[in-house]
Amino acid sequence: MNVLVLLAIILFALMAWVGGMKGVRSFIALFINFIIVLMAVFVMNDPSGNPIIITLIACGFISAVSLFFINRVNNKTMLAFLSTIATMVILIFFIIILTEQSMIYGLGEEESGEITAFNVHIGLNFIQIATAVIIMSTIGAIVDTAISITSPMREIHDQNPEISRKNLFFAGIRIGRDILGTSTNTLFFAFFGGYMGLLIWFKDLDYSLGQIINAKVFNDEMLGILISGLGIALVIPIASLMSAYYLKKQKKDIALDEQK
Amino acid sequence: MKAWLKNRTRTEYITVCLLLIGFIASMIFINNNYDLYDRTIVHITDVQEINREDQPDEHGNQDEKVTQHIVGEVKNGSDKGEITEFDNEYVQSLALDYELSAGDEIFLAQDGEATGDIKRDKYFVFVAWIFLIILLAVGKSRGALSALSLFVNAAILSFALDIYIQNPSISLSVITAISIIIFTILSLLMATGFNEKTYTAILATLIGTVISLMIAYAALHFTGEQGLRYEEMAFLTRNPETIFMAGLLIGSLGAVMDVAITLSASMFEMYEKNNRIDLKTLKKAGYEVGKDIMGTMTNILFFAYVSGSLPMLLIYFKNAAPFGFTISMNLSLELTRALVGGIGIVLTIPIAIYISIFFIRRKQAKL
Repeated sequence: MNVLVLLAIILFALMAWVGGMKGVRSFIALFINFIIVLMAVFVMNDPSGNPIIITLIACGFISAVSLFFINRVNNKTMLAFLSTIATMVILIFFIIILTEQSMIYGLGEEESGEITAFNVHIGLNFIQIATAVIIMSTIGAIVDTAISITSPMREIHDQNPEISRKNLFFAGIRIGRDILGTSTNTLFFAFFGGYMGLLIWFKDLDYSLGQIINAKVFNDEMLGILISGLGIALVIPIASLMSAYYLKKQKKDIALDEQK
Repeated sequence: MKAWLKNRTRTEYITVCLLLIGFIASMIFINNNYDLYDRTIVHITDVQEINREDQPDEHGNQDEKVTQHIVGEVKNGSDKGEITEFDNEYVQSLALDYELSAGDEIFLAQDGEATGDIKRDKYFVFVAWIFLIILLAVGKSRGALSALSLFVNAAILSFALDIYIQNPSISLSVITAISIIIFTILSLLMATGFNEKTYTAILATLIGTVISLMIAYAALHFTGEQGLRYEEMAFLTRNPETIFMAGLLIGSLGAVMDVAITLSASMFEMYEKNNRIDLKTLKKAGYEVGKDIMGTMTNILFFAYVSGSLPMLLIYFKNAAPFGFTISMNLSLELTRALVGGIGIVLTIPIAIYISIFFIRRKQAKL
């Protein structure tokens, strides 16, 4: 039997055992997200499309699946969805400028040796593809942080309906502070684990600090991971602000309705 | 705005000033550090496109080959200050080479006639500063601690790999296992301090990691690693399997720690709100939290791993490689990492719940 099939069956069984129906839904969501990524790659094959726009649309679908399919549509997930999109849009400008300036697009010399059998001049724009990769690698973490903030904020608002908008906002920021460290940690270890080979390569071939810090593969990964961290940090005030604004506004509307 | 400024403490002012000074000083340094490099650095002053021709391939992909004439000033070495000229060739899709423009700074290739690499140190330092500043602005002292813990972990990993390379007799698994214990204890202590919450999270992380590794190992062994393609694993100087297994362990560690601390923190908080809380209710509440985080946590790992394969997938497809071959060549290792990480995340939920209950029961017995 194929390793991947066996591991997927184990993961499914565990998710169903620990999470019940919600666990099953989480597993299906993971599967759907995989299909969305593959679809996005297929669409990118067409040179006339813009990979950044395709990725943005794919990320919209991905966050919709992760939020609405697992947790149903309600104002918590809606706020998380909107703050995810807002964070993405802000990040994108930063990512595009940075990719272009630091020229981290394409394949590094360390990577290109292995694909000599293939033609790499395929008529697609690798600046945009590099940007798309960075956006996609951070979407999971941003969605996770967004829902971890909007969900307890509504709890707080439900329990103390009289809380002021400002205090509600700062409650959101305080929740964010608790998850900021662990979320960035999650991403950093995923990076270390995925690039153990690269780290050993640098050491085995005696790269100097100057060579490492200017190498394309190193910057590609490091900038990607730092930008993901930035995304996590940015979504905290954005989600807090949006929730504070929306939850208090809704309250005012209800109050106005009652007055009528 | 004025009121906001007034409310700042003196420590905050000093921190902001120190950060600003550090930022400006390091940016000035990194933009003028030419003499530290042995390789010749050229600051490009003028670029002219001198040739552009079509370059189609046998799969019908259209591309263009462009030649640029570059004029630039040498910034270091014996020719410092002199003007140099050379030609830079690139293919429009920019998979391997660079499109240069005035203002760029590059390392000259060994022969002095072509582009070697780009001077990227300034961008790395700049983004690292932005990251640090935003982390501090949002997280304050907690942000500083998480930045510090990331830095310490990177240093430990680098040190551990040095030991591995200098002592070929010690296996990578042993070194990884020891580093993992250190990573877990240090990161969690830094995140939540010395208390039962942290001890619970440390225990749950270590047990969760060990069990999920055993499951992964058994699955790989049972299937004879059928479906795993190590050929495409990049950057190899050693046995791919050892490096892959070590990476598997470390890669899921962050996510497992995240789950462990989230669960133990929320369970101890419930206990502190109500010291006499029924353990069954507590367990049920723990599972509710676990269900909430399970889906999004597995998603984080999935996207962090899979998205990196995007460029390779496109290159394979554009070279008319078959679908199944492309997927298994490029995604089998990444998907294995994501799945094993997911197994670790889900397993840690009950483990963290039971360990928290164990500690809370002891506390309740003392009441």
